[in-house]
Amino acid sequence: MILETRDISHDFDGLRVLSCVNLSVQRGERHAVIGPNGAGKTTLFNVITGTYAPRSGRVFFKDQDVTGAPPQALVRLGMGRSFQITSTFSRLTAFQNVRMGILGRRGIRFNVFRKVDVMREVTEEAEEVLRRINLTAERNLPARLLSYGKHRALEISLAMSTEPELVLLDEPTAGMSRDETRTAVDLIRRLTEGRTVIIVEHDMDVVFSLADRITVLHHGEILATGSPREIKANQAVRDAYLGEVAD
Amino acid sequence: MTPTALRWIGGSLALAALLAYPYLFGIYFTNVFVTFGIFALYAVSFNLLLGFTGLLSFGHAMFFGAGGYGTALALTHFKSLPLLPALVIGVVAAVALALLLSPLMVRVSGTAFSMLHLAFAQLMYVLALKLRAVTGGEDGIGGFRIPPFRIPGLVNVDMKDPSSFYYFAAAVLGLSVFVLWFVTKTPFGSVMVGLRDNPNRVAYLGFRVPQTKAAVYLLSAGFAGVAGSVYALFQNLVSADALHVLNSFTPVTMTMIGGVGSFFGPILGAAIFGLISELTSRYTERVELVVGLILIIVIMYAPQGFMGLVNAARARARARFAPGGATELAR
Amino acid sequence: MDPTTAMYVAQGVHGLAYGMLLFLVASGLTMVFGMMGILNIAHASFFMLSAYFSYQVLAVFGSFWLALLVAPVVAAALGVLCERLLLRRVHAFGHMGELILTVGISLVILEGVKVFWGTESLPIHVPAILEGRLALGGLDYPVYRLFVIGLALVVLGVLAALLYTTRLGMVVRAAVSDSGMVNALGVNVPLVFMLVFGTGTWLAGVAGVVIAPILTVYPGLADQMGMDAFVVVVTGGLGSLWGAFLVSVILGELNAYGVQFVSQLAPVLMFLFMAIVLAFRPMGLFGERE
Repeated sequence: MILETRDISHDFDGLRVLSCVNLSVQRGERHAVIGPNGAGKTTLFNVITGTYAPRSGRVFFKDQDVTGAPPQALVRLGMGRSFQITSTFSRLTAFQNVRMGILGRRGIRFNVFRKVDVMREVTEEAEEVLRRINLTAERNLPARLLSYGKHRALEISLAMSTEPELVLLDEPTAGMSRDETRTAVDLIRRLTEGRTVIIVEHDMDVVFSLADRITVLHHGEILATGSPREIKANQAVRDAYLGEVAD
Repeated sequence: MTPTALRWIGGSLALAALLAYPYLFGIYFTNVFVTFGIFALYAVSFNLLLGFTGLLSFGHAMFFGAGGYGTALALTHFKSLPLLPALVIGVVAAVALALLLSPLMVRVSGTAFSMLHLAFAQLMYVLALKLRAVTGGEDGIGGFRIPPFRIPGLVNVDMKDPSSFYYFAAAVLGLSVFVLWFVTKTPFGSVMVGLRDNPNRVAYLGFRVPQTKAAVYLLSAGFAGVAGSVYALFQNLVSADALHVLNSFTPVTMTMIGGVGSFFGPILGAAIFGLISELTSRYTERVELVVGLILIIVIMYAPQGFMGLVNAARARARARFAPGGATELAR
Repeated sequence: MDPTTAMYVAQGVHGLAYGMLLFLVASGLTMVFGMMGILNIAHASFFMLSAYFSYQVLAVFGSFWLALLVAPVVAAALGVLCERLLLRRVHAFGHMGELILTVGISLVILEGVKVFWGTESLPIHVPAILEGRLALGGLDYPVYRLFVIGLALVVLGVLAALLYTTRLGMVVRAAVSDSGMVNALGVNVPLVFMLVFGTGTWLAGVAGVVIAPILTVYPGLADQMGMDAFVVVVTGGLGSLWGAFLVSVILGELNAYGVQFVSQLAPVLMFLFMAIVLAFRPMGLFGERE
């Protein structure tokens, strides 16, 4: 088990957002977390990735208690994350964005002795990543000028740039057209080959095509966990959630 | 002719002009240039925090002043201290101050950062005014011995001669600016810019944000200290005025005029500011009034400063001659 | 009452008077911060401008009371003009642009007063009716200081009543703590901005007129009050009126007793107090994390 949360509860100024959430994710699994808006999915992500510590409960990553550990520490242990609201370096070019990720991965943090432009290995690796996410043409475009789909692709690439063993994707296909979604799902599948993924999603097609296991969150509690088939068949889930979502 | 060749020629010409300057323009303008150089470095060190890391400091004068007082005090109390060590002591004073403040300062950003710096700088100013025994109060510390620039057996240059001091100052300030420029081109420089745009993402890429901010902070303070140190040597005087809040607003104004988004903006701003001050002071004592007006106009109509106007003009020219596709200047 | 106690009490009254004036200035500053997210660096300049206006009114009409009525209003009007014509335009560029703009405005005002009124210190006389001392409980108090405290309390009392009992006050309080939300509710936020900005500046203006007989009117008036008010706001908590009140009183007393005991280093006490508070609570005593 690569990630386990035990009895995670959290509230914001008295408003209970998560109640006794017990999530367990196996290594190599693609685990989707679904639920209506306000179910607490992003809060759960924030708790897992150290944005804030849960009011109660513990988070275990690779059998280590990482509850409340700051993002930097978790990243170094092997976690990565993408954000619901695209979180790239908007004024930097796609190339510079990707390069930032590579510098992070290679641990080149305080180097003041070489011009970064002449570091050929870094540049070549950045070009390679751009190729993989189909952003070579937009290499010199500032991130904020990228089309929505490409911008999200950059976001996911940044999340993966530290080569995390576990990556959390927060609504990666939000706001995408049919085609963009297809491209994104394909990209996710390629980039996360061999890694563990926890993905929050609203698009049921994406969920059912990507996920090995699904957890359904409702009002901050786990309603059900299981394989896609089990979840589809679960009456409680259908009543609470799937019935509302246009299939 | 290739661009590189052009650049070499341009650079050599500039260097020649720099070397010949004192002989071409005389003492008064030589001193004006040294003043410009001091404030150019001061503004560049300030912009390291603002333009590159996204932190606006309203108290940068405290590092400038620390450098000045450090050097002045060292030369007053150590009678046979050579020139370079005196300079270094000033820098060490500035860095020490930054080190003291960094645990608090790296945890804040935005308005809080700006205001805390205003407060601490004011505290330094008040201390400098009140601790007369140490700092000479309002009158400051002056008349200390200015050691010659000496490499034993090789050179012994008297620093009281304006031309000699000019070369010394140009070398020190020029080297400092070069070092800072180089740093912005390194991987560390990339992380700095990353911090400006998206500190959250920087943390999630595995960088240590507080430590990186601290490193930039110390760098910025240290070089402001160099500027302050050279200032003390140049004036043979340092007083509480160096710590006054107006001296904290000066690099802000220079950077905004020149352009916050470019490395050379502050240098340009220092030049323009110096020019305006020179011209205005011939007609009125109220130089700060003009500065205030310029600041307002720049913020409202040209927030990217002079460099911003240049870049915009370039972009328009480029768009006119290269139709099709979105052309945006990558940083 | 023996002389030593008398001295302590007298200092206490002076400190309270200054503290009240400090709160008049700081309250506007902190409310503008709560609403707009910026600390108006020019705030103290308007305080000083009002003092200069009152001098002018006195010189022309000879009435302190007229000055007290008119000067703060004129200063407030100028402040609102700056907000509408200048600050609002820069809003899109973010806090930094606004901060720097207020720096520019403060420089213009600071130097502008020198152009119109010179650099000399201009004395203002306490109106005859408020001269002298009053005997209360075995002690003599300067009437003017008591007047200052009284006026400040009245003004603040009215303000508090407006804020906490009227509907407009409720809207203002909501806007100060979350202007984005209030905007979404359909309230005319720019109008509320203007109101808060204008009232805050007016309060500072009142303080300016009232402090003039004590400190005289000179170009450096904005410096000390400005720094003190700013320390109050930062230490009390950006956006918190109660924090500003508490810290104003504390600082007023620190100042009064500080001058008595540590004289030269009294200002340092203030910064020390701020540094200690911020070391434990970087957002101020009652502030909320931005």
